Amino acid sequence: MTTLEVHDLTRTFGDRRAVDAVSFTAPGGMLTGFVGSNGAGKTTTMRMMMGVLAITSGEVRFGGAPVTRADRRSFGYMPEERGLYPKQPAIDQLVYLARLRGIPAATARTEAMEHLDRLGLAERAKDHVEKLSLGNQQRVQITAALMGRPRALILDEPFSGLDPAAVDGMVDLLREHTARGVPVLFSSHQLDLVERLCERLVILRTGQVVADGTPTELQQAATLRHRLVLAADAGWVRGVPGVHAVDVDGPTALLELADEATAQRLLATALERGQVRELSPVRPSLAQIYREVTA
Amino acid sequence: MTTLTQRPASAPTEDTTDDGTRGAWLLVAQREIVTRAMNKAFAIGLVVSLVVIAALAAFFTWQSSRVDTYTVAVAGGDATAVASVTAAAELAQTEDAGTALELLEVADDDAARSALSGGEADVWLHPGDDGWVLAGEGHPDGTVSRLLGTAVEQQVLEANAEAAGTSVAELSAGAELTTEALDPEAMGEQALFFAGFALSFLFFAGAITSGSMIASSVVEEKQSRLVEIIATAVPLRQLLAGKILGSSVIAVGQNLLFAGVGLAAVAASPISIALPALSTSLIWFVVFFAVGFLALAALYAVAGALASRAEDLQYTSTPMTMLVMGVYFVTFTASGTFLTVLSYIPVANVVAMPVRILSGDVTWWEPVLSLAGLALFAVLALLVSERAFRGALMQTGGRISWRQALRAEA
Repeated sequence: MTTLEVHDLTRTFGDRRAVDAVSFTAPGGMLTGFVGSNGAGKTTTMRMMMGVLAITSGEVRFGGAPVTRADRRSFGYMPEERGLYPKQPAIDQLVYLARLRGIPAATARTEAMEHLDRLGLAERAKDHVEKLSLGNQQRVQITAALMGRPRALILDEPFSGLDPAAVDGMVDLLREHTARGVPVLFSSHQLDLVERLCERLVILRTGQVVADGTPTELQQAATLRHRLVLAADAGWVRGVPGVHAVDVDGPTALLELADEATAQRLLATALERGQVRELSPVRPSLAQIYREVTA
Repeated sequence: MTTLTQRPASAPTEDTTDDGTRGAWLLVAQREIVTRAMNKAFAIGLVVSLVVIAALAAFFTWQSSRVDTYTVAVAGGDATAVASVTAAAELAQTEDAGTALELLEVADDDAARSALSGGEADVWLHPGDDGWVLAGEGHPDGTVSRLLGTAVEQQVLEANAEAAGTSVAELSAGAELTTEALDPEAMGEQALFFAGFALSFLFFAGAITSGSMIASSVVEEKQSRLVEIIATAVPLRQLLAGKILGSSVIAVGQNLLFAGVGLAAVAASPISIALPALSTSLIWFVVFFAVGFLALAALYAVAGALASRAEDLQYTSTPMTMLVMGVYFVTFTASGTFLTVLSYIPVANVVAMPVRILSGDVTWWEPVLSLAGLALFAVLALLVSERAFRGALMQTGGRISWRQALRAEA
């Protein structure tokens, strides 16, 4: 298991700090999701991790040591805006890109054919890429990153534009790599997807990490809310000390409680006033957490 | 082991340690060559050019070996006229001027006129009131008039001399002008002009087409971000080296092919005497072109890196296009001292020096010195371009200036 770490990574463009002291870890064997709104600094961070963009300050570490050019050469990388050589057959460019990374031609050809076969593109291997549909072009691009048993994967928006079935196919492929102990970092706008797939999550806002951890950790760290359901109107809860009513709708209230004692006091008061149907903690969805931390 | 802390901003730094990327430039060059050779537009262009060169050569050969036969009508068996036509026909043969004469004897002047209008005869030679007349339906052909004029004059002179009791030989003793070429292989002014024109065109066509191909191949990778994948795999220096090498092989190979076809055409033509001089000049041209194109290819690669999209290319490659066009226009009209000066100025000397070599007025060290200057220029261009290329290639969003590109790494 090799871990990919980023320490205090910073990049300035003129006066603007696009990435500001970003630190996080993408552990080996896990899918780490990298989310944030447009311009939050995801792409800039990934480009610095790959050495495509110079680092203003900070450090990228791989397997506990500063990352080297040889390390990066063994990484699979998928840039954000992308394309392939439009007038070259898919198989030829997969082999070319793999050979540039030092993979022998014969191995590269076999592996590329296996991948294309899995994607159902074996018969179109010799077609010019421009003749493939956009979705298929994207699969070829992901394949380019997956060639030659990469030691880490850094994928910028790998799933954008893929239909759900294609996403599932791609995720299966990525899982094969995490199963080998490889760290996989991918950025995405699709929160539901990230929530479903990721073992870890890093949320970026205006160049800074605002949340980092497993989904459970994030949910626990997020402000815990409680739902209270009474038999009668719950409007009175607004006046209870230590209780912040987020939303009250008839007998149902969504509350933020200062501490456990407040919860007990609230329950006692409610029971005095009548019937209590429910008082339960509410786990926020990642989408809610995201909205909260990026607000 | 290097750390990436505290590195000043901008372009990624190159790690020069060998980590198995050393041969990458060969892979890049190989791809450039194969892609180019497989490109339909390129292949068609090449074939069309070769056909045009071969066709032009064939046309000139046919033109110069073509014989036009003219029929000369003579009426009533006029002895002087018949003798003149026979003498003129012999003269035409020795001159090899592409004209032959044929005698057509007709009964009288009327028959001669109708032969002219009927097309059986091209001209009609007959005595006039004061000397001789060569009549045609329109104006008679210049060569035919000259040949017949000389022959008639000779005949009449012979007769007049005899009447005066002397001979033409006696009268014209010591008056004959003969021509002599000290160096039979030296080029005439016209041939030199055409050679200069051909060489500057070869330079222009080769530099512009292969130059813009390297520029568009760079921007293709930049626009599609393939270059980011490539940059993580191999040092950008290797990418640039491979691209320059690949496009140079294509450009020089193409010019070798053109030169070969041109020389073969010359060898098959009546001016084959010029072959050795032309070959020497062309070999120098190819050597100069190969060195000069390295510099141009590097500059064109930067033009590609400065652009962000293919549409920007026209703008970013303008300085290079101006340079190539300037060399083209200046060299194909240059002569004398101006040509000598040009033959030492890098890039212009790619054309100017081979033209001077063809004219035969250079000493051996002149091309060598000029080539050394060109090589120095190429090295400088490569160094500056390499820096600008690395500085510009990873910067996205709009066109980048040379200044920004060169500063990026500082």
